[in-house]
Amino acid sequence: MRLAAPSLTRQNLLCAAALGLVAFSAPFPGLQAIFHAVLVLALAPRAGSPLFGALWALAAGWTLEGSLRLYPHLGGTAWADLTLALLAGWMAGRWPLEGLKGWLTRLAGLSILQALLVHGAVRLATTAHPWGWGWFWALLSVPLWGWLAWRLLYAGAGSGRR
Amino acid sequence: MALRAARWGWSRAAWQRLALALLWLGHGAWVLLGPNPARHWTTFLDVLSRPTQALAARWEGWRAARRDSGRSLAELRTENARLGAELAQFRTQQAQQAPRLAEADEAVRLLGLKQQIPLELKSARVLFATRPATFGGLILDRGQDLGLEPDQGVLVPEGIVGRLWSVGATQSKVLPADAPNASVAVMLIRSRATGVLQGLGSGRALIRYVSNQEVVQPGEAVLTSGLDRVFPRGLLVGYVAEVAKGDLELRVIVNLSAPLDRVNAVLVLPPQPPLEVQPPFVAPEPKAQQRKRGTP
Repeated sequence: MRLAAPSLTRQNLLCAAALGLVAFSAPFPGLQAIFHAVLVLALAPRAGSPLFGALWALAAGWTLEGSLRLYPHLGGTAWADLTLALLAGWMAGRWPLEGLKGWLTRLAGLSILQALLVHGAVRLATTAHPWGWGWFWALLSVPLWGWLAWRLLYAGAGSGRR
Repeated sequence: MALRAARWGWSRAAWQRLALALLWLGHGAWVLLGPNPARHWTTFLDVLSRPTQALAARWEGWRAARRDSGRSLAELRTENARLGAELAQFRTQQAQQAPRLAEADEAVRLLGLKQQIPLELKSARVLFATRPATFGGLILDRGQDLGLEPDQGVLVPEGIVGRLWSVGATQSKVLPADAPNASVAVMLIRSRATGVLQGLGSGRALIRYVSNQEVVQPGEAVLTSGLDRVFPRGLLVGYVAEVAKGDLELRVIVNLSAPLDRVNAVLVLPPQPPLEVQPPFVAPEPKAQQRKRGTP
């Protein structure tokens, strides 16, 4: 069973809310990493219309980098987020979602890829840097935020299906 | 028209994809440039300008090589001119010093001859030679001031020259042995036959009064016999050049050994020297005595 894509307005509103959470959760890097992963991997990608998702991913990356004092502010995170958002949107069009399990699996794989790609891009832009444990918390909490995003995007607040 | 615009124009999705591609590429380039974009641009421009730089380097190297070659050529010419001037100067100096060197060499040889003959020899320099003229001779720079007297023998290391013919206050004239009016008592070294040497000119002389019975060979040395009391016995006169038998005596032609035309310095024998002089006895240096076995 093929799921219908969420409305663009809902998706943009959710992205804006997630971006605000990324910005305001700066004092808590672990939580910020989770919000960042939610925005880039779950909320921003959209099949067939990737431009808005790419812009949200860029905003997420720059917000994260700008909120971290000891982090190089050279756009490595934003570029990795852009790439991941485009990849996730392409995957959504190429392999449409059929259930929560596949969604979570895909998010877990994308989380790992995001950790590698973000830190690789940051290293490419500058030099070696501390990774921190944000990627670990984001990967560990994939079932939680994946389920939440699934509910918000595809199930809706009321009936659960749309 | 609408169909053609849709066919040849770009759709909205295509524009979006182009914008995304440019966004991704630009952002990636920004990331790749890193914290010091100027350095990357410098590297990029350096790579781009490398062929031009190589050409400029080759051009500059060619110009430098050409400049250096021109400079080296000019330096070589200057060096060559300087060396040529030095060479000419050295040749001039050598030419100027050649007579002095020859005189010094002759003086050394005269000194050696003086040490061999245990007589009081006096040295004099030849000022002028009038030998080509009839009855010509050699003019010496010393005369009565050195105590010279007529009929003193004159010799050089190669052999006898002649005798003093006339002595002035400061100069004297030598009658060479090859003069027609000169005579020297001589003897042959092998046969010990004696005779009188009479000049024939041009460095040649004739020995008279040698018996036909004597055996004389060309190349035989002719020495002074000392009988004329001008030269002591044993001084070299010359070598036999020709031998011919006459009616009563041999006709012996002698080539005088002294280079009469090239004499610059001479030794003058004392008047009426002894008939025979012995060469100085030089005692050999005592060798270090070998220590006998068993002696301390």
